[in-house]
Amino acid sequence: MEKTVSKTTEFSPGLAVEIEQIDKELGRIWEESGDNQTRASHINLAVYTEDCSAIETNTEIIRQIAQDHACRAILICADVTAKESKVRAWISAHCHVYNIGEHAVCSEQITFKLDGDAVHALPNIVFSHLDSDLPLYFWWQGDFPSTFESDELWSWIDRLIFDSHSWQNPNVQFAILSKIQKEAGERIILCDLTWTRLLGSRFALAQIFDHPGALQQIDHLTEITIDHAPGHRTTAYLMLGWLAAQLDWELHSILGKHTFRNRAGREIHFTLIEKEGRCISVCRLASPDASFELRRDVGSDFFHAEISLPGVNPLQVTLKAERDRVTDILLQEIVRGGKHPLYLKALAKIEPLFH
Amino acid sequence: MRYETGLHKMPSNTDPRQTNPLREGLSSRTVAEPCTIVIFGATGDLTHRKLVPALYNLAADGNLPPSVNVIGFARRDKTNEVFRTELGDAIRKFSRQKVNEELWSRFSDCIHYHRSAFDNAEGYTKLAERLDELDKNCGTRGNRLYYLAAGPDQFEVILRNLKESGLNHSPTGGWSRIIVEKPFGYDLPTAQGLNKQVNEAFAENDTYRIDHYLGKETAQNIMVLRFANSIFEGMWNSRYISHVQITASEPLGVEGRGGYYDHAGAMRDMVQNHLMQLLCLTAMEPPTDLSADAVRDEKVKVLRSLRPLTGPEVIKNVVRAQYGAGAIDGKRVAAYRDEQNIPPESVTETYVALRLHIDNWRWAGVPFFVRVGKRLPKRGTEIAVHFKDVPPVLFNKGTDVLDENVLVIRIQPDEGIALRMSAKLPGTSLRIEPVKMDFHYGTSFGKAAPEAYERLLLDAMSGDATLFARRDEVEEAWKFVDSIHAAWIEEKDKTLRFYSAGTWGPGEAEDLLARDGFTWRRL
Repeated sequence: MEKTVSKTTEFSPGLAVEIEQIDKELGRIWEESGDNQTRASHINLAVYTEDCSAIETNTEIIRQIAQDHACRAILICADVTAKESKVRAWISAHCHVYNIGEHAVCSEQITFKLDGDAVHALPNIVFSHLDSDLPLYFWWQGDFPSTFESDELWSWIDRLIFDSHSWQNPNVQFAILSKIQKEAGERIILCDLTWTRLLGSRFALAQIFDHPGALQQIDHLTEITIDHAPGHRTTAYLMLGWLAAQLDWELHSILGKHTFRNRAGREIHFTLIEKEGRCISVCRLASPDASFELRRDVGSDFFHAEISLPGVNPLQVTLKAERDRVTDILLQEIVRGGKHPLYLKALAKIEPLFH
Repeated sequence: MRYETGLHKMPSNTDPRQTNPLREGLSSRTVAEPCTIVIFGATGDLTHRKLVPALYNLAADGNLPPSVNVIGFARRDKTNEVFRTELGDAIRKFSRQKVNEELWSRFSDCIHYHRSAFDNAEGYTKLAERLDELDKNCGTRGNRLYYLAAGPDQFEVILRNLKESGLNHSPTGGWSRIIVEKPFGYDLPTAQGLNKQVNEAFAENDTYRIDHYLGKETAQNIMVLRFANSIFEGMWNSRYISHVQITASEPLGVEGRGGYYDHAGAMRDMVQNHLMQLLCLTAMEPPTDLSADAVRDEKVKVLRSLRPLTGPEVIKNVVRAQYGAGAIDGKRVAAYRDEQNIPPESVTETYVALRLHIDNWRWAGVPFFVRVGKRLPKRGTEIAVHFKDVPPVLFNKGTDVLDENVLVIRIQPDEGIALRMSAKLPGTSLRIEPVKMDFHYGTSFGKAAPEAYERLLLDAMSGDATLFARRDEVEEAWKFVDSIHAAWIEEKDKTLRFYSAGTWGPGEAEDLLARDGFTWRRL
């Protein structure tokens, strides 16, 4: 069940408040709610966008996240093109009753609109409204800027969330990301939603090779084919990078043609096919004696795997697939945590493919 | 816990050095291996209510390995199709998540029914043939997990036949494991007898004794709370803790289990297994690592350190009682002796309260009070750690005695942790009141925790026995409980007290704490 504290009829990010009154007004919301609402929070979730039409969508995403992960949400919309420098703020609460008769558990959302030069106030806006002692998850929507005036922001972030598949120029963006990581030091953890989106496929592929017969074939793979949706080339590359990193393959390029080679020098050819469907709809791996296919059809909640091994009937398996709405991906990222060391390894394997 | 490290153990029938490199970073747990699960007593309640829904939920969460078959072994005549239909109805009723028909259809294809009496040797020969065929067709590689879900009186005949038919060993170099449901015997001699039968057929490290309390999320969290937070462990001893109360209460009566319950009683049904496990998790020393044996070694040490209760010590430190007629939720309920299948002269206890001491350095002088009862006002299982009072120097003096700090670990329902402490009431005068910091799993994490059986089945498929009771644990617990039973028998029925249904037990249970200046916590 959901209950919203803000009392407007048309969409609004909540109650408009003066910046300096935010804490006071939030306190008033809780006082007015009496004893039947509990405020809870275990992360600070900041969302930054330069597309102000996305406020409603982002608010809805935060509302859904808050059902499972109570948080202090800070939604920032920056209009860098605005001539007038201005900061506006709204507050709201997302309340959920899990069982009838129980107290509502509420998360707070503070929405900021930064116009013109006020965009430079971003770090200050974030720093001054964090819930103390809780980690900061910062979701940067869209491209990173090539320069940023206050690098201090990055060092405050525990988890920097972004989605590399939406980047127009991954080569440039990954370079900026690398710079951000250097500036931020060890604290920051890079969370690419494209990598998270691959989790279900990676898990299902790993399950295929949990089969002892399949595992015996893993060092003999020679062919990989990945069918990916338009706009998901980066996703397919990351899948390749993951396989290469885990199976110890190196990328080789001769006259513009790329292949991988394993430790024994065996070549592994790969083909990426752009096709309508899921971001990754099919992943086929083959050795001279066996083949493995992982498929996810549009509209299906499952992966269908086929394992063909020598001397055994082909084995068909249905494996769970996660939903891949952005909210589900973000939730997966929050739930799983971890430092994503494999992401960096995978990225290093395929970096030349972005050039 | 969130990790992204470590490669994962692979089945024993492949090159033991070979690990699945694609598993790295995907899961913090050992990988479940392809296998066939044979359930003895497949037409019973446990299979329908718990086991198959748990397996379905594991499949739905993507936690089952690529090849898992289930064979239901039972006496009744039925076909695979009828068996699957019955199980389909059961999971629609008992599954914790909504059933996806596409998944169930695939999953149910791997469920088979095997009709045989438990004492029919030919039935086991045919079972072996069937298992070999599944290994060949489905890639289960000779891995077998036998589940004794039949009545305990059938365990011996099943174990003997498994051994005689050679099914206790996997023919192709896989593994054969057995899961034994409680009760693990009726007393120490019967437990030893059962353990002997089990271990004649299966090695101890292939034996998985289920105590479903250990599969509960909050029970697992006791170790996390104690050993993953630096603020508690330093105070977790007799210097700071005055006493510990462990409570398992329920408003239910015997609910159709009269025949079994009257034979067992609260001590055998709950204390010997569930409450002893909670006591061990609360009192144990930090294990050297999280391996099954390291954890269970520490639990056994607690059981061995329990001060034995014999003869007059039992009369002094244990209260046993039976419920009389009363009211639950405003409705009249019958006395225990008037319940179905209960003899009118029954002296079986439905309530037990114990005052225990753990004779080791950490717990010297700290009493552990344990109580369990049926027809109590409220359902709840919890561990309450009561800390010592602050010195009567500044605030805690004169008539203004402060409530002590209490850390409560709620096992069920409403799993969570609460800490009671003192705070100044706002105002110009100094008035101190107790306040509660309360953490609820449900509201903080939202996501529903898996059922205990899901975790335990997955662990058995993965070869992780940490959450299962080891032979010496079971036998040490029986040894302790048997001496109490012996004293009760000696005293005949004189030790049995009565309480009205819907109350918190007999007055003698209050006296047990009052002697030390304590009172039972109000749930």
